[in-house]
Amino acid sequence: MDILLQQAINGLTIGAFYALIALGYTMVYGVLKLINFAHGDLFMLGAYMGLTLISMYLGAGMTSGIIWALLVIFILVMIAVAIAGVIMERVAYRPLRRAGRLAPVVSALGVSIFLENAVMIIYGPRYRMYPKGLIPEIQWNIAGAQVTLMQVLTLVISFFLMGALYYFVHYTRLGTAIRATAIDHDVARLMGINVDAIVSLVFILGPALGAAGGIMVGLYYGRINFVLGWGYGLKAFTAAILGGIGNIPGAMVGGMLLGIFETLAAGYIPQGGAWKDAISFFLLILILIVRPTGLLGERVVEKL
Amino acid sequence: MRKKILVALSLLVIIALALAGCKPKAAEPIKIGFQGPITGKWAYEGEGMVKVIQLLMDKVNEQGGLLGGRKLVLVTCDDKGEPSDASLCADKLVSEGVVAVIGSYSSTCTEPASAIYNEHNILHITPSSTATVLTTKGYKQFFRTCFLDDRQGLFAAEFFIKKGWKKAAFIHDNSTYAKGLAEWAKKYYEEKGGTTVLFDAITPGELDFTPILTRIKEAGPDVIYFTGYHPDGGLMVKQAKELGITPGIVFAAGNACNNPEFIEIAGKDAAEGVLVSTEPLPGDLPYPEAKKFIEDFKAKYGEEPASIWWLMAGDAFNVIVEAIKATNSTDTDKMAEYLHTKFKDYPGITGPILGFDEKGDRLGTIHKFYVIKDGKFVPYEE
Repeated sequence: MDILLQQAINGLTIGAFYALIALGYTMVYGVLKLINFAHGDLFMLGAYMGLTLISMYLGAGMTSGIIWALLVIFILVMIAVAIAGVIMERVAYRPLRRAGRLAPVVSALGVSIFLENAVMIIYGPRYRMYPKGLIPEIQWNIAGAQVTLMQVLTLVISFFLMGALYYFVHYTRLGTAIRATAIDHDVARLMGINVDAIVSLVFILGPALGAAGGIMVGLYYGRINFVLGWGYGLKAFTAAILGGIGNIPGAMVGGMLLGIFETLAAGYIPQGGAWKDAISFFLLILILIVRPTGLLGERVVEKL
Repeated sequence: MRKKILVALSLLVIIALALAGCKPKAAEPIKIGFQGPITGKWAYEGEGMVKVIQLLMDKVNEQGGLLGGRKLVLVTCDDKGEPSDASLCADKLVSEGVVAVIGSYSSTCTEPASAIYNEHNILHITPSSTATVLTTKGYKQFFRTCFLDDRQGLFAAEFFIKKGWKKAAFIHDNSTYAKGLAEWAKKYYEEKGGTTVLFDAITPGELDFTPILTRIKEAGPDVIYFTGYHPDGGLMVKQAKELGITPGIVFAAGNACNNPEFIEIAGKDAAEGVLVSTEPLPGDLPYPEAKKFIEDFKAKYGEEPASIWWLMAGDAFNVIVEAIKATNSTDTDKMAEYLHTKFKDYPGITGPILGFDEKGDRLGTIHKFYVIKDGKFVPYEE
């Protein structure tokens, strides 16, 4: 039982990261019908920016008040990556808005390659390590399962951000504008909504969440490199499809489920570690055969 | 006038040639070839190997050479670590008339070169190419002074049994090298009475290994042997500590984790007490031959040899010298026959060379366990 509980905690932590990143994919798809392949790389950019700011803070000889400093760094990095997201949309996607669906996808792949290589050239191709011991290494033993403070923080922050996004999209005027834009750009414009501004807003929210995920991955695992975004991006994209792409609760559910699938595959199937990814993608295929629109459906109209 | 000069020159040439022909045969040097990456990404290894071989060769020449006073000369060829250059090098060394060749560094270069040396029947010893496939082609004159991965597996298995660790978990990363090592270790471990409680793989480059680690915890082995590379190994060690697996269960890793970054990723606390099986660093070799050679090397070049592969090249040279001495010839068939059958228990720089098996692989093992103490690899002492 304690093993099952431990695996559930493992799976939830992995899933929380997938969910945070999946939100970026799903919101962009909802509004633009574009799969933003560069989103995983924005997440990676967040991890590197966080590393830079934390190193600067520690380099300045300040060690007290690290918790407050981390909070400020979190916000700064989220803003910086959001700006990168907006620039990306202006430069790579907006000029192609009327060019059909294939051209922006190719453009997204180009942005992805650009970001990866830029980070590789700036930070070097080797693994980079986050400083150790920023978050106190406290752990609890709950019914035989080990839980660390960082795991709890990861889950709390992820759920808080996801909750905040859900509230924003569903219970504010801007959120209503996003949902209206997702339904139909032209009609939204007729209602007096500035569609370009809404698209920019989506490219602020998604990358900011991804950046938060990036710093948490850095703090939690301690090891980052420039292709980080590729692996996580693929998994998060899968999670978004699993939950129903274009659907915000779907991305959250999809991320958590994918994390738990993987964990159960590695934890309970013989040779499951080696076959983990194959098993989770096989499950994805099964679910899509039964429910082609994903678990919660991809009808953007009401759900986003 | 011009005609006279021509005639005089021709005469001179003829005399010179005649004289050369008359030279006593004993003085004709024996050519030993070296091919390896003297420039390029592995230049460091190739350069070091040449330094080591040259030092040993000078010693032999000071003592009067071989076969009744014939001096040795080293003919080098830079293959840059590229397979295409490796074939050209082999052709060049063959046409230079070398009697034996040491090289190349990487398996991808050694493979094409070995086919050419085999075709021309020239004794060929690689100091550092560990790919199993190299000695499976039935080449009678091909040997290596390094060890295959199965020796490391054998060494680790014997060590675990000796420590009384009866149950083990083997984790690899699905790469050819890591999977091979894990499979060898498992095979030998079970042959010696150990029980494998888990044999599985992780995905390299991933960040979260807690699912498989939790499973290991449940399986309850005495030791975990991870054979993948250091970025993943370091992270596994960190997460194993967080899950409370270590220090209760011993974490051991293969030679791909022998890298300071391993400790950096794991963190000093979590890495404490982790074991790593690997070829020893030159400075940690306990053998008198090694200590003496390192002194000589320092005296000549002002630095210690940095890589075990340099010393492996030195041993390859020593093996060639022994073969020439023992057979009193430079005939490839005789030397190869000698190395396969009669060459036993030679005190090499990298440890005793027990001999070569029928495929040309070195017998025995020189692997060591290192333990991480205070963020540093130190040789493991009982």
